[in-house]
Order: sequence, then structure tokens, then C-alpha cells
Amino acid sequence: MTEPREDRILAEGVHKAFGENEVLKGVSFSVAQGSATAIIGPSGSGKTTLLRALNALDVPDAGVIRVGDVEIDFSKPVSKDQLRRYRAQSGFVFQSHNLFPHKTVLQNVTEGPIVVQKQPNEQAEADAVELLEQVGLAEKRDQYPFQLSGGQQQRVGIARALALKPKVVLFDEPTSALDPELVGEVLSVIKDLAVEGWTLVVVTHEIQFARQVSDQVLFTDRGVILEKGPPAEVIGNPKEERTRQFLDRILNPL
Amino acid sequence: MLLAALILTACGSSSNNGENPVKASGVLRVGTEGVYSPFSYHDPATGQLVGYDVDVAHAVADKLGLKVEFVETPWDAIFAALEANRFDVVANEVTINDERKQKYDLSEPYSVGEGVIVTRADDNSVKSLDDIKGKVAGETATSNWAQVARDHGARVESVEGFTQAIKLLNQGRVDLVINDSIAVYAYLAETGDKSVKIAGNTGEKSEQGFAARKNSGLLPDLNKALDELRSNGTLATISEKYLKANASGGPATPAADASESTWQLILRSLGPLAKAAITKTVPLTVISFAIGLIIALVVALARLSPNVILTNVARFYISVIRGTPLLVQLFIVFYALPELGVKIESFPAAIIAFSLNVGGYAAEIIRSAIQSIPKGQWEAAETIGLDYVGALRRIILPQASRVAVPPLSNTLISLVKDTSLASTILVTELLRQAQIIAAPKFEFFALYGTAAVYYWVICLVLSFGQGRIERRLERYVAR
Repeated sequence: MTEPREDRILAEGVHKAFGENEVLKGVSFSVAQGSATAIIGPSGSGKTTLLRALNALDVPDAGVIRVGDVEIDFSKPVSKDQLRRYRAQSGFVFQSHNLFPHKTVLQNVTEGPIVVQKQPNEQAEADAVELLEQVGLAEKRDQYPFQLSGGQQQRVGIARALALKPKVVLFDEPTSALDPELVGEVLSVIKDLAVEGWTLVVVTHEIQFARQVSDQVLFTDRGVILEKGPPAEVIGNPKEERTRQFLDRILNPL
Repeated sequence: MLLAALILTACGSSSNNGENPVKASGVLRVGTEGVYSPFSYHDPATGQLVGYDVDVAHAVADKLGLKVEFVETPWDAIFAALEANRFDVVANEVTINDERKQKYDLSEPYSVGEGVIVTRADDNSVKSLDDIKGKVAGETATSNWAQVARDHGARVESVEGFTQAIKLLNQGRVDLVINDSIAVYAYLAETGDKSVKIAGNTGEKSEQGFAARKNSGLLPDLNKALDELRSNGTLATISEKYLKANASGGPATPAADASESTWQLILRSLGPLAKAAITKTVPLTVISFAIGLIIALVVALARLSPNVILTNVARFYISVIRGTPLLVQLFIVFYALPELGVKIESFPAAIIAFSLNVGGYAAEIIRSAIQSIPKGQWEAAETIGLDYVGALRRIILPQASRVAVPPLSNTLISLVKDTSLASTILVTELLRQAQIIAAPKFEFFALYGTAAVYYWVICLVLSFGQGRIERRLERYVAR
């Protein structure tokens, strides 16, 4: 892990409601460059909405967020162009991978670089093959997603997110939809990325993973960040009662 | 058929006073059936439009120093087309009566006959009009013979023309046909048909003349020309050529032609039918479908947009297109729009009507196909930086097309057959061509059957193409 130099994400007072349901009630946090942040918390606590706000998949109602070089004050009107530049700062890995089923593994990875970033085909393909090697799937480059296992699909999803060379990579419960024996291969890829110095934000239920890989843990509950700090503190020695209850339920389900 | 009457009434008010645009243009445009032997039909040997009424129209135009241009139109649309200014006069054995005189300029008669009742040869139950009560008569809906039959208590079955009526009579689907004696004699002489007979006459003379729009200003010229042609014997000569021969029982057509078997006729029809299919039916289908798909995509996207106005406009369009008969849509584009000053030729008019129709049906197919693609695909496209159009074009539509191809193929195959409706707005497509070839020989079953085979072959080719496209689109789906 590299020494943090500056914040890659800075969020202040983020609010988001879906109709009457206020999901984020003023959330603030920062993510240092080259660090890995794990967001944990009960279902419905707002952790996925918080992650999606970082990519504007859900646009916040209020608050200021800076991701990479782009800062947006969501309490003011936001232009499409602003959102596009903001979104380009981060890559996103979905719970259910959302690979493009009609494109090959290689085409899934090169779609963004070639179509959006207008890179020359040869360069984009060379870079994509390198990324696929990194996630251990170079030999699957010409296969379609349906020919891959769930773990392989998710690793392609990661390569697709990395191909745009984002400042931050966001993971939305990347292993929740996987069979248990496939979880390890995906977590190990994410772990390698952390070691390489990518800035990562991971919404996860894998407490052990959060403890071993992350530099910072955010515990969300009922729309706020109840506790944040190094994993040794938040997971190893939680101060809040609700954090303890949550960890207890996860770690000792019986 | 009621439609024609409806549009006719709706268009009844058009008129111009006294001025004579025909003289100005130097062309007399004549509406005629083209499938009504021996008055208006295509000579089997030459393919030329000929017949008693056609030759009289030629002679009259010559007298007036005008060029003549024929527009072939089904009888039931012929007055609507006249009103819509598709041509200047109708030359198609238009019977002169008071009702028509109120609506149209009718010339002096150029043919005179009497109304006769035709029945099957073994049917002795009809001797006069008093006997037809409760029986079924086969008549074209807007003809005065239909009115005669109704007035005497018969139920009228609408047919497309006299030859079809006789066919139905032969098949026992109608009990009688009332028509002009000249037409009946012509039919009997031509076919040697012994299964039907003239059972009685209606006791009324029928006089046939040209019909023009009310206040057309054409009548003095037309009547003067007819008078001259009558007195110098020209009408008699033409009548001799087409009608007297029939009355005498001799063959109306050359001997070689009369001996032509049904199979020879079908064989001879293959070329013209193929030409009609290739130059009209296939282009109509392909062009309309392509334009229709573009309309459908735009409408589907409007339907899916968050903009309430767009959504409702799209809904209204789809509702109107799906809720009204295609035939009405064709008639509105072709016959009603000219009333508003928009005159469109028949082929483009057909393209417009079919495209709009396909647009309405395909829009719902495309909309549901787009909606069948998971939201995660839109989101994934967004996260790699694609905008709405990019996501639609590169991610959503390629996947939606897999869902849409089978139902869209249905629409396309229906369209192939629907193009036959274009015959009602003067497009000589496959079915119309079959009618034209069949009419002089009264061989409707053989020609319609041949046309059906052509339609079927086109649809077979399309089904084959559908299979190939589906296999290609299935390549990324687990089986």
C-alpha cells in the first residue's frame, strides 16, 4: 500500500431520498489516494446508494462530492456535461456484473476505450488483453459472457471498469451473487488491485476481506455513517453498540 | 365497398364552374375498370387496354383533338377517384339514372341494352323480378343493378365485378345476377358457358354514357363528339367489333386465343405476374417496411420518454393506426388528401399508408423489446461513459433486436400480403395484375391461385431470412 498523498474522494453532507424514503441523511467521508475503503452495514442502511452516488447512477439531492478532479455541488442544478465528466472519474463493478451479453469478453473491455475515449483499436485491444491477463482471463478473450462462470464474469466486469483508467474503482457487493467457491478468485483480484495502488471503494458483506484488505472501514446505518476508521478499530474494537450487533450477526450467524 | 360510397359523399361538394382544365392540358384522363370484358379489358394477345368503352373514349378524344390517358380503377372506387380528380371522365358502362344525374355530369348514351336476370341453367324458379324476393343476388355494391335487386326483395352479396358475380353464380353462392344484356351475351359467347342462362328481363332499358364531375363543363363537347360518331357510323363499327359478334353467338376473340387452355393461360401469366411482384409488390413491401421501422423506433422511444406530451402523441398515433382498417388508411391518403389539396401518386401514396401502418404496429414490438432489456445494461453502459444514443445504439438495440425479430418478421410477412390492398388505389401490383389477366378469359380461380403461389414464395424466402437472422442473434445466448 502506497502512502496516501491526497484525497481521491471527498464527500460532504450527501443527501438522497427516493420519494418519501430518505436513504442518505447527510453523509460525509473521504478516501485517500491509493487506499481501499470498505463500506459495511445492514441492508437498507444506504451503503449501495452511497456508492452509486459516487458514480451518479443515483444523483444526490444535496451535498458536495469531489471524485478525482471533478467536484459537484448537488444542491445546485447539474448539467449533463458535468455529470459525464464526474462519472468518468470512477469505474463501477456491479453486483450482477452486467456484462454486455452480445459482446465478447474482449469487446466488453474495449467498448469504453474505443467508443467513448476514441482510442485506436490496436492500443485499446492491447491494453484490454493486458488487463484480462491481470484478472487471469486472457485466454477467454473471444468467448461470450454466457460461456463463463460467475466468478469469471465478475473478473471481466472488473477488467471493464479498469479499462477506462479511472481515478477510483467502485465495487457494489462484487461477490454477493456468486457461489461460495467462486468468491475467493474475485476477492483475490480486488486484493491485488489494492496492493498495486488503485484507489478502491468496496461495498461488501465479506468482513474478513474488509479487515485484511481495507485501509478504512465505513459502517453505515439508517442513512448515516455511524462509525469510520481503520479496520482494526471499526471491526476489531467497535465503539458503537449497533456496529457490534451487526458484526456479531454477520460473524456468528447461528 | 361502403367506404367508397362514404368518401364519395364526403367529397361530393367539389366543383368548378364552367372552366375547362381538360382543354388546357390537352389530355383527357379516362377512368375505367380494365377487367370488364368486353367493355374495358386487356387484350390477351397484346396486353393492350381495349374494349367497347375504351375504343369509344379513344374516338371521342380524337374528335376533340385531345390525347387520352387511361387510369385503371376498380369499379367500387371509380367515382371516389373521379371526385378526387384522378381523371376527368368515367368510361365504364356507367348506367344513366336520376340519382347519378344529380351528382355527376352524364353524357348522352353510347350503348343501350336491357336489364336481364341470369340464373343457373337448372334453376326454373325465376322468370321475372317478381320471383327474386328472398334470393341472393351477386352485384357490385354501387351499381344500379344492386339497387334493382334490393328493390325487389333480393339480398345483395357484394362482388368486385360482373365476372366474379358469374363465378359465384356458378359456384351456387348466389342465386342470380342482374346485369346488362350486352355484358351477359358477351360472357356467354366468350366462354360458351352452358351452366347459366338468361331467365328473364327486368323490363327496363339501360343506357350507358360517360360520367364527369358535376359542372365539369365537358358535357357539350362530349355530346357533340358522340353525336358525330353515332351519325357517321363510328359507334356502330366499334359496337360491331366488340358486341354484335357476341350477340350473334360467334367467338369474340381470335380463334387461336379461344383455344388457349387454362394451363397455357397460367404459363403466359407467369412473366407478367413476376414482373408485377418484382416491380411493385416487393419494392412496396421493402420500402414501406424500412420506413415503417424508422417511424416505429422513433415512436417507441417517444412512448418510453419521460416527456408526457411525447408519450401521449405516440400513444395516440399507435391507437389510431391499430384501431382503423388499413384499407381506410389507404383510401384517406389516396382519395381524401387530394380534397385538402395534397395529391399523391398511387405508388408513393401506398408507401406512405403502409409505412405509417407498419410504424404503428412495430412501435409496440420495439417498445416491449427495449423494455425487456434489464436496467443493469443501461447502467453498465452509463458507467463506461456512453450517452443515451450510444447506449441505445451499441448496447440496448442489439440485444432488443433479438427479442423483436420474430414478431417483426410477422409484421413483414403480413405486409407482403397487405400490399395487395394497393390494387384499390390503382397500383398494378401482383393481385391486380392477376385480375387483369384473368378478366377477359373469366379464369379467376387459376390466376388468383397463381398469384397466391407468388405471395407464398415471397413469404417463404422471408421466413428463410428470418431463420438466418435469428440464428445469428442467438449466438451469444446459452442454449
